[in-house]
Amino acid sequence: MKSKNTLSLASKLKVLLVETDSDKAQILEGVLQSARYDVTRVINSGIPLLKQVETTQPDIIIIDMESPDRDMLENLHRISHSTPKPVVIFSEEEDQNTITQLVKSGVSAYVIGGIDYSRVKSIVDIAVARFAEYQGLKDELKLTKQKLTSQKSIEKAKLWLMQSRNLSENDAYHFIRKTAMDNSQKVEDVAKNMLAMADMFAGESA
Amino acid sequence: MVDYQLQKKSHSSIEKVKLTLGFMPLTDCAPLIVAKELGYFAKFGLNVSLSKENSWASMRDKLATNVLDAGQLLAPMPLAGACGFDPHCQDLVAPFVLSRNGNAITLSRKLFEAVNPTSSTTSSLNAKSLYQQVSELKKVGKKLTFATVYPYSCHYLQLISYFKQGGIDPNDINIVIISPVNMVSALRHNDIDGFCVGGPYNAKAVREGVGVTVATSMDIWPDLPEKVLAFKRQWYVQNPTTAYALISALSLACQWLSNIPNRFEAAKLLSQKQYINTPIDVIAPSLLGSCLTMQGEAPRSVDLYNRFTSSEDIFANQPLESDVYQLQEYFASAFVEQGADANKLTIIELKNIYSASIYQQAMDWLQQYEQACDKNVEIDALKQNEFGQI
Repeated sequence: MKSKNTLSLASKLKVLLVETDSDKAQILEGVLQSARYDVTRVINSGIPLLKQVETTQPDIIIIDMESPDRDMLENLHRISHSTPKPVVIFSEEEDQNTITQLVKSGVSAYVIGGIDYSRVKSIVDIAVARFAEYQGLKDELKLTKQKLTSQKSIEKAKLWLMQSRNLSENDAYHFIRKTAMDNSQKVEDVAKNMLAMADMFAGESA
Repeated sequence: MVDYQLQKKSHSSIEKVKLTLGFMPLTDCAPLIVAKELGYFAKFGLNVSLSKENSWASMRDKLATNVLDAGQLLAPMPLAGACGFDPHCQDLVAPFVLSRNGNAITLSRKLFEAVNPTSSTTSSLNAKSLYQQVSELKKVGKKLTFATVYPYSCHYLQLISYFKQGGIDPNDINIVIISPVNMVSALRHNDIDGFCVGGPYNAKAVREGVGVTVATSMDIWPDLPEKVLAFKRQWYVQNPTTAYALISALSLACQWLSNIPNRFEAAKLLSQKQYINTPIDVIAPSLLGSCLTMQGEAPRSVDLYNRFTSSEDIFANQPLESDVYQLQEYFASAFVEQGADANKLTIIELKNIYSASIYQQAMDWLQQYEQACDKNVEIDALKQNEFGQI
């Protein structure tokens, strides 16, 4: 009976995921749930979060490096003697690279009570990998958006040149590119400046 | 002509030009913001990005992993690191005191009215007034709950001192750590009965009518270091001139801030979104020496509520032996059960962390720099004269 109990406890670690960004949370939640961790996600902050920690009694808390609640979670035990001591995950980890990796991927984690360190480590590794992946996706999206807007400005500037100066599409593009090269500016910036000027003149003539 | 080279040399001898500094969105981050906005960093050839941190834990971790070059830290944090309380603050040096004072204790209106039926706020309220309340709660197995921002902070040490000064055993109070941004809402929802926090959160509680500020850190123990500039010792060894330039810029920013007419301008800068992102009527009072006490009541005058430096005291930014000795005393007595008393550092160890010697080297560097600049001005003037005569 007793061994069965330990077994079931050992097979399901309770993870409290504190994350306000639902897209980001979902990525991790999905993986951890399927790996049969018991994941509860919370978006509370301050005292309401504290209460949730008390009712959920998690084995591990995973929280964004940038969350203002870190000071609270990290020091649960320090002053009030009743709460178990949470351990910053990397205080067990001497390897500077691992610590740096955690900080850069924006994951911080606190372990409560004496659970097996290697099991916790695997959750944190998953979190680091997933969040890094998420960050990668976000960066990619940003880059694509940037490219699209820059493409748009160039197209618009070309059109303006074609209409106002009777240039062919090819000549209009060469004109923008040459101006950019002469002034060692980006093509996109030249296009934007040109459009700003066009706007200004349009305003004057109106 | 040689001196012209000297100024260039002081710029070029800076080992690291691009720096990232961490700040916490609190009123006393002012020296960092002023140094950036008024061009004091740039004056010495530093290209500084300021990184807004949301917790002391993240500030600490980013310093430890070199994500930040330097940062604004709670004065007791390097001490906690050195005596083994926080392994991630271990090899920090803190050669520059960014600010003194600035904290206050605010009670919920409910608690204030219960302990002070006359509701007078003209002077500070001694914790003796809370004694009866605390004793009565104790009889029924209850405690008042107070919040503060971090265990290794002046806030926590001041809260402990405040209760002790009023004859209250701090063990009879439930003390929790919550982030400054969550303080006012916790007070509003009766989750806590009071807090000790830095600006602008006391003023915010008063403006929003949820709290009454009953004592400032000036009433508890005045003028000890509150926030310090800290970096890793290893970083200093690699970038000594950069450190001197950094300290020089912050020193000039603190001098600018010592002039009260400049303080409103500082409040205006701080209120911006990228910094504290809070209305100016909440940030400005403490900077102008005014402690808001209670909605509808006249503020209390607390001249040195936020102290950055002063023209009378040229050592205001230097960590003094007496400062750190006193700080350690408060620290040891607050964490006596955790063994802080037994693990006290020697004065030499303390001086090695709160390094007046690095501060003085920075001031020497600044003096040489200014002299080189003065000579350049003279040379320029001379050249112009010659030109004029032709």
